[in-house]
Amino acid sequence: MNDEARLESLAKRLGASAAERLDVEATARKVVARLREQPVRRTIWVQQTWLRIAAAVLIVVGGAAVASRLPRGSGGSFGPGGEISPAHGAHFVADDLSDLSTDQLRDVLATFDELVNSDSVAVPEGSTDLRELDARQLRAVLRSLEG
Amino acid sequence: MAHPQPRTETSSDAALIRAWQAGDEQAAAELVARHARPLARFLAGAGAPDADVDDLVQETFIRAFRGVDRFRGHCQFRTWLLTIGGNVLKDFGRRAARRKVMPLDESVRDVTGDPHEHAEASEVEALLAAGLKQLPRLQREVFLLRAQQGLEYAEIAAALATTPGAARVHYHHAVRRLKEIVE
Repeated sequence: MNDEARLESLAKRLGASAAERLDVEATARKVVARLREQPVRRTIWVQQTWLRIAAAVLIVVGGAAVASRLPRGSGGSFGPGGEISPAHGAHFVADDLSDLSTDQLRDVLATFDELVNSDSVAVPEGSTDLRELDARQLRAVLRSLEG
Repeated sequence: MAHPQPRTETSSDAALIRAWQAGDEQAAAELVARHARPLARFLAGAGAPDADVDDLVQETFIRAFRGVDRFRGHCQFRTWLLTIGGNVLKDFGRRAARRKVMPLDESVRDVTGDPHEHAEASEVEALLAAGLKQLPRLQREVFLLRAQQGLEYAEIAAALATTPGAARVHYHHAVRRLKEIVE
């Protein structure tokens, strides 16, 4: 071999036997089957990423919206003049009633004493003082404030 | 109202690619049938063990079809496919090196035909194959794309993101090295 043409001629024969042995139809079938069985990972990754981004945005926006409605430094909400809205306050408290102890429930009720008309509170029969109520009765009273 | 164009043997690669992107699996099969053998020759020439050529051909097509959105038509589909094949082969070589799997030498593989004639021909081919393995990857691929696949320098340059002049230089370096090795 002493010229470029012969080298090129030899190069053209390289891999010829491997190519001859290749079952092209079977290869095509396998490729199509693999494409069908293994969807494009990049697309899935992009979809998952967008879903995560969307979820994160939703949490941030939702959190900001909730935070903007929360009262500054307390558990009730404020009206236009800064006063606590009884209905909203009762709702926030009532969401977590099950987690409150009897003393905590009494404290919560004490904050409502000045805000809620006693006629609207369903005090159990036979009780005249909230301090006499047990936890179950106190929860019932608070739930009646939810409206 | 648009009607799907009937596909024929003369459908262009670009038309088949568009059909595949639209979900036509048969278009993908047609592209495989059209380019699998040249790809197998390229891979085997670049050093792929015979026993792995089929798998490497499949893997190359899988990667190509999954990344076909990145194919901008800057070169022929086949040329682009061959460059992907080069990447697939490189990854295969890395995995094989980690597993320490040594491919069988060409001369000890099962062969058919006149043993004497085959031995004489395969001796030179084996030298060339061995020489190609000693070349830097870019030189090897440029040599195969030019000498084996018959591509123009401009086409090779477009596929390998280089200039035709640089492709020509790589080719001549490869030829000079191969002549030294083979002679």
